[in-house]
Amino acid sequence: MRNRFDVQLYELNREIIEMGAMCEEAISTASTALLSGNVELASKVRANSHLIDQMERDIESRCMKLLLHQQPVARDLRQISAALKMITDMERIGDQAEDIAEIVIFLNGHTMEGMEQIGEMARETIAMVTASVDAFVKKDVEMAQNVLIQDDIVDDYFAKMKDGIISMIAKNPEDGEFALDLLMIAKYFERIGDHATNIAEWVIYSVTGAHKEA
Amino acid sequence: MTKKIFNAILSVATAVLLASLMIVTGVLYQYFSNVQEKQLKDELSLAVSATEELGKDYLEGLDFERYRLTWVDHNGTVIFDSHADIAAMENHKDREEIKEALISGKGSSVRQSSTLTEQTIYESARLKDGSVLRISVSRASALVLVLGMIQPIAVVMLAAMLLSVWLAYRMAKRVVEPLNNLNLENPLENKVYDELSPLLFRIHVQHMEIENQIQNLKHKQEEFDQIADNLKEALVLLDHDRRILSINPAAKALFGAGDSCVGKDFLTIDRKLQMRTALEQAQKNGHADFRENKNGKEYQFELSRIDSDEKDHGLVILGFDITEKVNAETNRREFTANVSHELKTPLQSIIGSAELMENGLVKEEDKPRFVEHIRKEASRLADMVEDIIHLSQLDEGVEMPMEDVSLKGLSTEVCENLTEVAKLKNVSLEVSGDDGCIRGVRRLLYEVIYNLCDNAIKYNRVGGSVHVSIEQKDQGVVLQVKDTGIGIPAEYQDKVFERFFRVDKSHSKQSGGTGLGLSIVKHAVQYHQGILTLESEENKGTTISITLKCGDNC
Repeated sequence: MRNRFDVQLYELNREIIEMGAMCEEAISTASTALLSGNVELASKVRANSHLIDQMERDIESRCMKLLLHQQPVARDLRQISAALKMITDMERIGDQAEDIAEIVIFLNGHTMEGMEQIGEMARETIAMVTASVDAFVKKDVEMAQNVLIQDDIVDDYFAKMKDGIISMIAKNPEDGEFALDLLMIAKYFERIGDHATNIAEWVIYSVTGAHKEA
Repeated sequence: MTKKIFNAILSVATAVLLASLMIVTGVLYQYFSNVQEKQLKDELSLAVSATEELGKDYLEGLDFERYRLTWVDHNGTVIFDSHADIAAMENHKDREEIKEALISGKGSSVRQSSTLTEQTIYESARLKDGSVLRISVSRASALVLVLGMIQPIAVVMLAAMLLSVWLAYRMAKRVVEPLNNLNLENPLENKVYDELSPLLFRIHVQHMEIENQIQNLKHKQEEFDQIADNLKEALVLLDHDRRILSINPAAKALFGAGDSCVGKDFLTIDRKLQMRTALEQAQKNGHADFRENKNGKEYQFELSRIDSDEKDHGLVILGFDITEKVNAETNRREFTANVSHELKTPLQSIIGSAELMENGLVKEEDKPRFVEHIRKEASRLADMVEDIIHLSQLDEGVEMPMEDVSLKGLSTEVCENLTEVAKLKNVSLEVSGDDGCIRGVRRLLYEVIYNLCDNAIKYNRVGGSVHVSIEQKDQGVVLQVKDTGIGIPAEYQDKVFERFFRVDKSHSKQSGGTGLGLSIVKHAVQYHQGILTLESEENKGTTISITLKCGDNC
């Protein structure tokens, strides 16, 4: 009985890693598409986003089955409930990558100043997502805590981007629409950073059983 | 064991007990029956003679505790009976013993009681007056006797059982104890029961076999570990569930994994899309490969499914570092493109000039200039082809004759050949220093010095100088070509040794040359295992130094 349960937990673990990897790919592809103005890449991200949604539903039903049939307690219960929460954040990351890709398609190869900064922001965000998935893979609390610190950096980037965009609009009012798109993208990256932070928090919870004090 | 021994002892004890009981009972019963019969007969004869003399009075005076006496007249009517009322008794004429006595004078019979628990023995004799006297006694049957003995027998059986338990326990313990103390590590050293020898020998043989097999396995495992550990390629073995079974140090370094990754899912060390797709493909089709840039190096990954007995046993992942191969491929592609381009340029120019002349578009007085142009371009083409041949020889590492060469002599020779060229540019040429004897290929070394000096003159300013110096040092002979020319910009200094590389592409035609000179120098120096260094400052000059190993005889 226990053995079967262990196998199922193992599979759950594997599926979450896979889903995390898919999110990493989605966001890094989206940012590459954004920086190079590659519309084709962006449409690929959109096409792949439903896979992430599907994955979320699969993992969700697996978790529900485990909860119902095995009635886990203690650490196992924490692991499964953390998984349930984590996939929601992962799915949101996938959605936001898709949103970025949509803007890229809308811009249709149009690039402009301010892109370098968003490139840096994207790199930092991708690093956060990778680190949070890594923390889950290795069940490494310290690594997860680093992700929480990294979030402040991404938040700073967003504040800087905002200032840059304000002065950009002031200088070239005719680029206003583009500037707003840029702001949206920056916001999406900032949100992705927040979701990565959530994932890291759930990793800490599933290992230690304690939530970070709000 | 104890139970079996107990059963054996108990059954033997019971059998012996029952047998002896039966025999003893049978023999004794027979004996006592005979004695009783004899007594009865004696008693009867006594009673007969007494009754004949004294009549009924005698019988009535007797004490009948042990026997029963019955007197019957010749008609069978009972005249006297010691135990019953004669009036109630029926005629005894048909009784077996009476009948017998009436005929032969004596009779006897035995009758069982209806319950079989009693037996009555009758003896009778005829008196002189024709009447019959009968004596009888009752005794218990053998069965009753035996039944009466059940209680003591049960006690004996119980005692036998207790004794058997105790004995069985003792015996089992004593038999088993040496078996328990057997030294199974060295079965042949035991001296317990001879009966066990074949078994012990078997165990010994099996011991040896197991030991051998373990050693073999260990050896194989060590061999595998040794090979895997020293493998430059990354090697990972996965089971059918994609858990890591074995990972070598190269793979650990490549995937950035720790020692704890063994037994975990492979996704925990690499979860990239390409790898995941390849894993799935390999599990489905048996093989997959892909290239990936990892840690700044190009890797080729080969994945193969391990099948045996048509069962999927897992996967092997091999990672090769193909950075050099990829670079070589790029170089070759670039070289081919360059060669074609460089060869085509003079050819186009030749074809153009020739076409103009063919179509009569060239004035008669201009013809010598065109012909000269064609000749010049053709000889440039020939130079280039020769250089390419040189390079390809060096590339292929063709063995060339080694001899002792004096670098100073060679440099002087080169300078003599270049005097004319130098004069045209008004550049002074000078050779100085030690003799600098080394072991090498004369033709290649000549080429090296020629190319260096040629470049030094070509890219010099008018009125500049070229100084070739040779110095004998501890680590070898250092040949230095120093000019006062235009120099090489810092960003191009790494590239000047590449094939067809020109710092100033627009002037290539003006200064002539093939763009292969320094490439040949580099390869020729490499062929001699020398060291090539370049120092240059723009508009001041360039110094190229070559350090070569000393020859044996110099």
